[in-house]
Amino acid sequence: MKNWRLWLRWSWRDLRKRWLQVLAIGLIIALGTGVFAGLGGQKTWRLNSYDLSYNRLHMYDLKLSLAEGSFVSQDKVLATLEGIPGVAHLETRLIVPTLVQAQHGEKQVVVRGRMVGVDVSDGGPHINSVYVDEDSGRTLTNTDAGQAVAVVEYKFARHYGLQPGDPLHVSGDVTLDFVGAGHSPEYFLIVPETGTFLLGEASFAVLFVPLETVQRLTEHEGLVNDVVFLLAEGADRETVRAEIEQRMAAALPATGFKLLDKEDDPVYPALYNDAEGDQWVWNMVALLFLFGAAMGAFNLAGRIVEAQRREIGIGMALGLPRRWIAFRPMLIGVQIALLGTIFGLLIGWLLSQFFARTLRDLVPLPYWDLSFYLPGYVRATALGVTLPFLATLIPVWRAVRVAPIDAIRSGYLVAKGGGLSRAIAHLPLPGKSFTQMPLRNVLRSPWRTALTVLGIAIAITVMTFIVGAMDSYTSTLQRADDAYRYMSPDRILVDLNFFYPLTNQEITDLAQLTGANGQPLFTASEAALRLGGTLIRGDQEIDTVLELHDMDRALWVPHLLEGALTAEQPGLILSEKAAADLGVAVGDTVTLEHPRREGLFSFRMVQTELPVIGIHDNPIRPLTYMPLQGAALMGLEGVANQVILAPAAGMTRETIKEVLLAQPGVASVSSIIEFSEAVEDLVALITQMLAVVQVVVVILAFLIAFNTTSISVDERAREIATMFAFGLPMRTVTRMQMAENAVMGVMGTLLGLAAGWGTLQSVFTTRAEQELADMRLAITIEPGTILLAAVLGVLVVGLTPLLSVRRMRRMDIPSTLRVME
Amino acid sequence: MMIHLEHVSKHYQMGAVRVTALDDVSLTIDQGEFVVVLGPSGSGKTTLLNIIGALDTPSTGTVRINGNDLLLHRAADRFKFRRETVSFIFQTFNLFPGLTALENVQFVLDMANAPRNRERAAEVLTSVGLGERLHHFPHELSGGEQQRVAIARALATGNPVLLADEPTGELDFQTGIQILGLLQAQAAAGKTVLVVTHNREISRIADRVIELSSGRIVRDGPPRDGKAAISDLQW
Repeated sequence: MKNWRLWLRWSWRDLRKRWLQVLAIGLIIALGTGVFAGLGGQKTWRLNSYDLSYNRLHMYDLKLSLAEGSFVSQDKVLATLEGIPGVAHLETRLIVPTLVQAQHGEKQVVVRGRMVGVDVSDGGPHINSVYVDEDSGRTLTNTDAGQAVAVVEYKFARHYGLQPGDPLHVSGDVTLDFVGAGHSPEYFLIVPETGTFLLGEASFAVLFVPLETVQRLTEHEGLVNDVVFLLAEGADRETVRAEIEQRMAAALPATGFKLLDKEDDPVYPALYNDAEGDQWVWNMVALLFLFGAAMGAFNLAGRIVEAQRREIGIGMALGLPRRWIAFRPMLIGVQIALLGTIFGLLIGWLLSQFFARTLRDLVPLPYWDLSFYLPGYVRATALGVTLPFLATLIPVWRAVRVAPIDAIRSGYLVAKGGGLSRAIAHLPLPGKSFTQMPLRNVLRSPWRTALTVLGIAIAITVMTFIVGAMDSYTSTLQRADDAYRYMSPDRILVDLNFFYPLTNQEITDLAQLTGANGQPLFTASEAALRLGGTLIRGDQEIDTVLELHDMDRALWVPHLLEGALTAEQPGLILSEKAAADLGVAVGDTVTLEHPRREGLFSFRMVQTELPVIGIHDNPIRPLTYMPLQGAALMGLEGVANQVILAPAAGMTRETIKEVLLAQPGVASVSSIIEFSEAVEDLVALITQMLAVVQVVVVILAFLIAFNTTSISVDERAREIATMFAFGLPMRTVTRMQMAENAVMGVMGTLLGLAAGWGTLQSVFTTRAEQELADMRLAITIEPGTILLAAVLGVLVVGLTPLLSVRRMRRMDIPSTLRVME
Repeated sequence: MMIHLEHVSKHYQMGAVRVTALDDVSLTIDQGEFVVVLGPSGSGKTTLLNIIGALDTPSTGTVRINGNDLLLHRAADRFKFRRETVSFIFQTFNLFPGLTALENVQFVLDMANAPRNRERAAEVLTSVGLGERLHHFPHELSGGEQQRVAIARALATGNPVLLADEPTGELDFQTGIQILGLLQAQAAAGKTVLVVTHNREISRIADRVIELSSGRIVRDGPPRDGKAAISDLQW
């Protein structure tokens, strides 16, 4: 028993006979443990990095935003809010929409944007600071006060390759000095008001500009519309909120405002929830891989033990203790465990490096904490060692408990039964007996078939879930695009910097604009209103973007699923998701919290009960529409802050934007086509990511199928040799194996599709509600995805036996037949 | 169907050692002969069977079946040869465990594209005394019954040459006698039957006994004490 060398040498011979199978199982385990190790720390990385970035840049604790269109005296606000107990620091800001024109080399870009006027006196801003790293220029300083300088939001600058010093213009054709590309907490992700992440960094530019400069450029000298607060340590937030609200209501009763916690910020909770959600998905994917690997290891171990059955019996007959009998087959388990763990840690490290790079790319933060996450690797090692060990232990434990005489029996006395093949023995199946054999073989060993089918199903489940999630997301985006573009698909949306009477030049002149050659730029125009608000019903509140159109003359109206565009009294046309979340239908009432004009620059937030008159088909939840007659509720009859224009034939977007940029009152210009382009870009990005997923699934399915085929060829070597002895051609034998694999592949694929669908449903109905509340995601699996599953699960699996042709061709038929001398 | 071997040798290289399984063997077997190849373990009798059945190729020499040189055949032709000319019966039966008795026999008929293969398979099985066991799987049959199925499988296609390797090796005496009886009947019907065994008693019922020792033919002729009846056998 102490002759370790003999046992290790014996085990080495076992390994050499089955090295390819052991390697295949080891690789599957490596994939699972690799995902655990490499991505187990992604949540910790992200949470730590978010904490670091938010803390170092002093994310606000509270933010006071005036109702849309309202501006108040900076001095008055500061006087009103100074000295509130619990407030450590406060800063005023002026945030206004603008059009941004930037250029780098030959590349010019004109997009919608925002100027955030920040207080740079005393080295500020000290709340929601603007951080610029040393390779990206410089941040704002107190000497910049009143100067025409700007720090461009980092991701926008990176997307277009903009460098400090590049030309930069805003609405009114004003030139700003581009001094740096920077980060600020509210813009760690770019989230437009529609609440999606679609119109992100490439189509929305945020500029950080000294407060006085923005006040001057927008002719709002001395005015602000935003205040951010940092609370002192230990301050009671609710008490501070109450004090702020009370003081504001007393000092500025005609001015509406919203007071937000940092948890209400559109980006802050999304980043943290995303990290949690993603970790859940990665853990699930890793577990699926490991489950598939465990079954493969169980399958292989069982068959190895079966192959050693007589030797186990001989050992028993010689009086070898059970623990030593178990030693040799258990060593296979150890080998798989070692391979799986070592490769897994390597794959994990590579994955972690790749993921860290991707993360930094997708969400560039000012500060990252990507320290080595030991717990992930420890967990992965534990799993990588335990799973194959357990998978081997169970069949070995059963084998050493068999009565010695049963273990040592040979020949026909231990022939295994027909399994479930009896069930079809009397069925008149088509084809010859050897074409029926694949189905017979599948049914003959139901347990092993089940393990193989489950392994394939797992690979298909992973693929169906991930690809299905992407299908659902892209199909939702496509529906949104269709909703925007079904009418006047090339219309231009011009946001004005204020509410102008319809007869004002700022509105009337736009429709008359001509290009350089004197040709009219536009063929039609429409004045509209666009405001922020909140839909309320019961304890449900949904932020909304409200658009008011003259539905009879509009260039575009929402496409309705139910109801009507107009009614006798003003009403709301909600998105399907908003209606579902609020629990309303056409005819029900909803409370709309909206701004109401009280003065030229003051709006108060009021609540109005309105009927739901229609439900539109755009899946983006915040989009709400109303007939223009509803403007009276807001004190905005006869005014507009948006103009919609139909471009004349041959007029390019770039020409139009350049001309509009120079117009007074124009805050931003966007084209509906840009939404489609953003959808296309996102779909292209998603397709690239899917390619990686598909490759991984192909590898997994292939490894499982290869392992099964390889084990089958070993186990059925005598059957195969007998067929050859009777002259059955190699191609027929190979076709039989392919058919057998294909049958299991079909079963595995169907099971995997069903399980993938179920997982998709389960995840989307639970997590999607938290993380993607602003979209009505219709769970979709495209026909292409099903076809892909069929190709992977059936074709790849079915073709795997071709890899065994060489082995069969080289088979020593007489030896395999065990013809005895 | 004439089997002709001329100066056939078979060597195996086992590392540095060269093992000679057959050494310059020449023989001719005529149609309808019941031949027993006799020899102790390691004498080369199984190698001889494998070479005649085109499962193996000689290192030197020629093998002709009805004038056709097997060595000139491609692999595909050798497969065809085994489908249409020879049929094997193995010591350990080598039935397909997932097929019933009927289906195991039907298998070779399907390979040969024979008509009415199911009925034919049933007929052959009945002729070997297994008419009541058609739908049983191998593990439900005794050793003797499994060997009968193997014989039925070998007989079903009507191939002119039967090659049996220790066909009674796993069986008790009575069952073994029954199996030998079936084989003898096939020889009487005109098939060429070659039985490989180490059991000298079995050689007593042969028309001809070829004795091998260390790969060489040491005797080739009728049984030493004359041909005996099956009922006279004892082991």
